Amino acid sequence: MLRFVAARLLQSLIALAIVSVVVFVLARATGDPLYLILPMSASQEDFDNARRYLGLDRPYVEQYLSFVGRAITGDFGVSLRARRPVSELIRERLPNSLKLAAFAMGVSLAMAFPLGIMAAVKKGTGLDRAAQVISVLGQSLPTFWVAILLVEFVAGRLQWLPAGGIAGFSSYVLPGFTLGWFVVAGLMRLLRSGMLEVLDSEYVKLARVKGVAERRVIWLHALRNALIPVVTFAGIYFAILVTTAIVVETVFAWPGIGRLAYEGISSRDFPVIQAVVLTTVVNLCVDCLYAWIDPRIRYAR
Amino acid sequence: MKRATAMARVFLLVLALLGMMAVGTGWAQPKTELTIALSSFATEVLDPPLGGHLVKYYLSMIFDYLVGTTPDGQPSREGGIATRWENSPDFKRWTFHLRKGVKFHNGDELTSEDVKFSIMRNIGKRSTTGYAGPLRTLIQDIETPAPDRVVVVTKEPTLIIPLYLSRSLSTEGMITPKKYIESVGDDVFARKPIGSGPYKFVEQVTGSHITLTAGDNHWRIGTPKYKTMTFRLVPEETTRIALLRRGEVDVVELSRERVKDVEKDGFPIHYRREESILTMWWVLGADGRVPPAKDKRVREALNLALDRAEIAQSIFGGKAEPAAVPLGLSWSFKDVGFKQTPDMMYPYDLPRAKKLMADAGFASGFNQDVYAYQLPGLPEGKTMAEAVAGYWEKLGIKSRLIPVDYPAFRKAWFDRSAPGAVGYFNIANRDWIGAYALLEKQAYSASKPSDTVNDPEIDGMLSQVMRQTDREKINALMRNVYTRLRSEHLGVPVVYLHSPYATSKNLAKWNVGSVMYDLFFDQLASGK
Repeated sequence: MLRFVAARLLQSLIALAIVSVVVFVLARATGDPLYLILPMSASQEDFDNARRYLGLDRPYVEQYLSFVGRAITGDFGVSLRARRPVSELIRERLPNSLKLAAFAMGVSLAMAFPLGIMAAVKKGTGLDRAAQVISVLGQSLPTFWVAILLVEFVAGRLQWLPAGGIAGFSSYVLPGFTLGWFVVAGLMRLLRSGMLEVLDSEYVKLARVKGVAERRVIWLHALRNALIPVVTFAGIYFAILVTTAIVVETVFAWPGIGRLAYEGISSRDFPVIQAVVLTTVVNLCVDCLYAWIDPRIRYAR
Repeated sequence: MKRATAMARVFLLVLALLGMMAVGTGWAQPKTELTIALSSFATEVLDPPLGGHLVKYYLSMIFDYLVGTTPDGQPSREGGIATRWENSPDFKRWTFHLRKGVKFHNGDELTSEDVKFSIMRNIGKRSTTGYAGPLRTLIQDIETPAPDRVVVVTKEPTLIIPLYLSRSLSTEGMITPKKYIESVGDDVFARKPIGSGPYKFVEQVTGSHITLTAGDNHWRIGTPKYKTMTFRLVPEETTRIALLRRGEVDVVELSRERVKDVEKDGFPIHYRREESILTMWWVLGADGRVPPAKDKRVREALNLALDRAEIAQSIFGGKAEPAAVPLGLSWSFKDVGFKQTPDMMYPYDLPRAKKLMADAGFASGFNQDVYAYQLPGLPEGKTMAEAVAGYWEKLGIKSRLIPVDYPAFRKAWFDRSAPGAVGYFNIANRDWIGAYALLEKQAYSASKPSDTVNDPEIDGMLSQVMRQTDREKINALMRNVYTRLRSEHLGVPVVYLHSPYATSKNLAKWNVGSVMYDLFFDQLASGK
């Protein structure tokens, strides 16, 4: 087991090293951030000064090695745009994304459970098809479009819920629903197929023969066993929710890690881009590793 | 079936409860707060030398300028730390008399030492403001003969010092506290800035908001009307409008496209008329202008081939006016006495444009690259570039649209790696000194690489402006520069853009003003 974990860790480190090089090179390939930071009236001298102060005048190899050296200790450098330590920006933004992702996961589970169970129990009926349509819609409708519609009508016209920003529990509802609905389809299908498999198993048939109430069969015997893959994938989906919420965070003015990434990319803020990508890759690796080494999950696979 | 229905009921009940909880919290805003929703905070740096122009929107409420400005951009003795200023006969010494009794938010008195420290810091080498470079070149020394007197000594005779250090330009003239910065350092100051303006800094959550709180009484605005002023960063326009409808914000930046919607709901719309000029230019080659745009007839033809009125109407929803002078910053026209007469307006004259092209030897047109990109405040950018390419196609010009982002074009422009290609920018309008500063970068050959004009006659005129100490002569030079830019067709001015802002229905009268990158919230917050 120890060898297995060590091998996985080594693989992750190699992946991280490759990702760090790729991100470092790609970020710089997009252009010079000074063309965004400095005003149109900036002279060549201004460019030279800014390049020196921001450490962009050093050779790329030196910049990369310095970045990696510091990143190991958790220091990702200073944002070119905000002029603040990137680790501080991440500390400020990541909790917001985690909270939103947790809420969104709650929404998606709250939707996926009844839909998945209903679809399995009423297999082939109109209810089954309706449940599948609802869940698939969440995945197929563009998140941006759903978010804009909710902001325009639910927040702006009906004025039921806040339109953006973090201002208490209510502000989580619209972005959480938008983000959560997207993953309902995956969870609901997993639950449905798991339930169908379990409902068809011998021990469930035996329970029914013994006269156990149908509600008890579904909720106690079937659901508990159908949950393993759902829980596994919910963990991975959670990491994905954190890292892919750029659109939702932008529309709902949510100061999370996705927005930070977007701001970093649009302003060529190399330290921010590198740090966000590495942070999210580390998160994903940890989650995948967890999924891989958990014996229940290995058996489930 | 019964079980499924029961589950559905439970699910709906949970959703309903969530909704009720949501509605019960975070509803109304207290009346004592003024909240402004902006699409961008630019750098989000709260330190004047590091922020750039756009931070003026919020920094001008925290800091005071050495020289104040009226909302229409004129220097004001009432709006700045300096209550009066005078120059020596040789125009190389500018003495500023400082307002007495001004205190920073930490209680320290504002003195000439703070002014000297601030200017030197704001124009220092780490500064990324727009005019730090020219000021660094120009200023020889700053003397502080008395706590309420500052003398700026320049290397050359000049008229521009008070204007360069005023609210009408960037942040070089913002006054910061010397003692505080020296004791806490630059980094702490940037996070907890202390100024002497009517509002004190309270909190910044990057990517979210900046909160300020009112001081008791301030010479600029009296007792502030709002106890709190919050700037919220809301990139998506639909969200900004929804926040306005819900009463969560009081002022929102609006696109021209959404004006009708918002106006229909009864929200007042305030325009910054001609806030920017949308102008196009040809990228120069290593040795200046390259064919075919080297030929004046071609440049005129390309100007005549545009139906500006149609562009203004169909692309900018009528919230724009045709422009006639390349780089013609219209807010400066009245300062220098330049009149944009009707005969300067380019008519949409395709037959004449075709004749000019034929005369220049391009009857069947030519190939041309047009960079197409979006810009902040210009969501219509790409559409406009496509439309212009469409007009030029009628002259036989085959435009290759290059979809990039602006920095990519700016690099090609500065490196001169795409000679003859066309790019554009919505240049913020400004007063004459701002216009001069821009022309000095974009229409002056010595300013390589940013030059777009390459005209020896204009070079000669611009080189005199900085040294000139007779305001009338400066005005004449500036008028001549504009006249020549127009007569030589040294660019393609497209339209002047009006920028709309919507406010809540109960907000006081607001003159959005005509100062570059400054919405003059003074008037909204003023208790005078």
